[in-house]
Amino acid sequence: MKKKNTKLILGIVIIIAAVVYLIASSTLSQSQYFLTVEELQSNQAEYVGKNVRMSGVVLGDTIAYDPQTLELTFQVAQIPGDHRVIEQMGGMSVVLAQAAQDPTLPKMAIHYVGPRPDLLKDEAQAIITGSLDENGVFQASELLLKCPSKYQSELPDQSQ
Amino acid sequence: MFFAGLIPSYLALLAFLVAMVLTVLALLRKQSALPTLASHLAKSAFILQTIGVISLVVMLALEDYTNYYVASVVNPAMPGILKVTALWGGQAGSLFFWSWLVSLIVFIALSGKRKLIDAWSFLVLSANVSFFLGLSLFGDNPFVRIWALSDGSLVSSLFAPEAGAAVHKLSIGMGLNPLLRHPGMIIHPPMLYVGYALFIVPFAVGISTLIQKQNDDRLIHDTRTWVVLGWVFLTGGIVLGSWWSYDVLGWGGYWAWDPVETASLLPWLTATALLHSFLLERKRGIFKRFNFVLVLLTYLLVIFSIFVTRSGLVNSVHAFSESTISSPLLAFMCFWLVGSIGLLVWRWKALGGEFEISSPFNREAFFLYTNIILLALTAVCLWGLIFPLINGALTGNQVVLDRGYYDRTTTPLFLLLVFLLAICPLIGWNVVQLKKIGKKLWIPLGLSILTIVILFLSGLRIAMALGGIFLVALGLFTLLTLTIRDGIAVGLPKFWGFLWRQRNRYGAWLVHAGILLIALGIVGMETLSTNIQGTMLPQEKMPLMGYEIEFNSISETFTNPEYMTAEADTTLYKDGKEIARLFPAQHIYPERGEFISVPAVDSNLSRDVYLLLVGYDVEVPYVTLRMSVNPLVNFMWLGGIFLVLGGLCVATTSSHLREEEELVQEEPLEV
Repeated sequence: MKKKNTKLILGIVIIIAAVVYLIASSTLSQSQYFLTVEELQSNQAEYVGKNVRMSGVVLGDTIAYDPQTLELTFQVAQIPGDHRVIEQMGGMSVVLAQAAQDPTLPKMAIHYVGPRPDLLKDEAQAIITGSLDENGVFQASELLLKCPSKYQSELPDQSQ
Repeated sequence: MFFAGLIPSYLALLAFLVAMVLTVLALLRKQSALPTLASHLAKSAFILQTIGVISLVVMLALEDYTNYYVASVVNPAMPGILKVTALWGGQAGSLFFWSWLVSLIVFIALSGKRKLIDAWSFLVLSANVSFFLGLSLFGDNPFVRIWALSDGSLVSSLFAPEAGAAVHKLSIGMGLNPLLRHPGMIIHPPMLYVGYALFIVPFAVGISTLIQKQNDDRLIHDTRTWVVLGWVFLTGGIVLGSWWSYDVLGWGGYWAWDPVETASLLPWLTATALLHSFLLERKRGIFKRFNFVLVLLTYLLVIFSIFVTRSGLVNSVHAFSESTISSPLLAFMCFWLVGSIGLLVWRWKALGGEFEISSPFNREAFFLYTNIILLALTAVCLWGLIFPLINGALTGNQVVLDRGYYDRTTTPLFLLLVFLLAICPLIGWNVVQLKKIGKKLWIPLGLSILTIVILFLSGLRIAMALGGIFLVALGLFTLLTLTIRDGIAVGLPKFWGFLWRQRNRYGAWLVHAGILLIALGIVGMETLSTNIQGTMLPQEKMPLMGYEIEFNSISETFTNPEYMTAEADTTLYKDGKEIARLFPAQHIYPERGEFISVPAVDSNLSRDVYLLLVGYDVEVPYVTLRMSVNPLVNFMWLGGIFLVLGGLCVATTSSHLREEEELVQEEPLEV
């Protein structure tokens, strides 16, 4: 019994080693920096051409879309990346609403080619994958939009 | 309605806490049986909670806009059924609903004829219900009302926030997020939740067994049915979620490795491993320790999955505002994690359970390989979720792992899994002679090679697709030939009865066939799907893969009070012949500043032609359309149905199968 199990255990060890290698190498090759507008702009030179992910709040007035060429451009403004900071400021929906109104925050221009996402609107949180070009425009390859699930600020206003 | 909902809910929590105290007192007196009074209290608590849930449903249905939750998920234009299902359409409601479901499961466990729940397991169960109910009532209460203060401003609070404040009724609510108004999304959350909740009972029995050092078959006898049913519901929930995202998100994407999706896969993977090692323990009495680890791990991953969904901590991409409940959830998870590990270490020796596998090429060994791969997948997904957290804590940099990571790590593992699944039925239980396998293999092997040759000759030249289809065909033909051989041996008249008596085995085969079909769908989507996008004037055509889409007209209508419908009228041609009229549309919600795409699909088993209205103008008029041809995708949903049906077959078998199965021969035909 001992002898046969040795073979088996050896096989299992090899499989586990292979899986660990797979995880480690994929982590190294596939991880992306997740940055805020501020972080991206303060180290612009370092990130040009690199595949990164960024997050910001969509400024509704800046959205321009040409359905013929599918070219979509808009701007996002800085929102904090740290979860705790967001909580201290009153939660994501408050942060998004404030950031969309504040003209002093750093902004970044986004360029994307493709269908206009359903949820792209003012005050939505945009999570954008892509890379920064030499002109400081973020060339997006993937857009993900999140609208705050709670309308904390909007609700009570409604009936007034 | 406010008090009818709130007071019973608080009383339910109180009843559970009292029941827990009674149980602890009984345990202190060294009585391991559950006190009858505690059981009655828990059952009454469930009734009270039910009253609370019904009150909330009534408030939703009657549009009570003094209630903050109602106002955030309901509006007058929504159809009645959606108003009711809005119960789980928002954060506060779904947490409340979840605590009720857990309580329901406890109620069912307590009501069974057999004494399933003893004092220790009851303690675990009621601690869970109390925690989630408390979290709902004190963390994110769904009964919170809207108040007008004396200065005219509005705030939300359970009771008057200051003297002179009055309950305020809004004239209209926000309504449910349009993306969630889809049959798949309406059934998906409760399916998933029921699946999650069912794993609580095995967890509680597992903890109790470990504490009391009961080294018999209690764990497997008492919990197998719960695990199988939990697996069925979880599977159904995940498949529905996938169908929803294919049908609603408009991209034709069925799986995006979104953290929330990935988290729901974790308990599914360990539960799948558990089903396999349960079978081994039943058949051969091995893998006992492994089973305990998996039972505990599965429920821990359920809590982790709830944590990921609700806290927004993992990958701040999904930082939905509500995180008042994330720290208690984290603490709760850590408590059970440390407790489980501690108990396992403490009882490890006593658990015994031989580990002996006579050959690396018999079915036992294959089960072991399967479980190793399933656990490897669990590790891969778990790492993908927590690596950004660990890295953030260590380096301060925010880093994410996205699709690329998951694609690269899981693809070889899934391929290996499908390969094992394809050949496993050919492998016998004990030592296997390769000759014997060869005999059984040649028919399915021949048929699947034939399939590939035919596909190759008809023009399919994509290696990945051919390889994938070959594996799937091998698996399906193997299952089919083995079933037919059984049929011939038993004789047709008796065959249906035979299938039913052996449903434990054929149910499992049905599940395996379902996995193979899902794999076929994934092969189709990942290697054969193509798309094109273009802007068209009326009577213009756009070609793709032998299809052509012609744009006829575009119109805007206002039939629904909530949204405007923009609908394109198009004709689909195949090889020049008209085969369908398709009407891709957008629903535009002016109040919300949102729109959702409603794709039009021409569907059959071999492919979907999936058409999306991307942009339009009624004046010019023109439309921008995106057309995809998605071969084989519907096998995915068919496979999902197979999984659920097969799982149900297995669930109806007794957990005392060890004795029963010895009566019938395992392999009824050896030629």
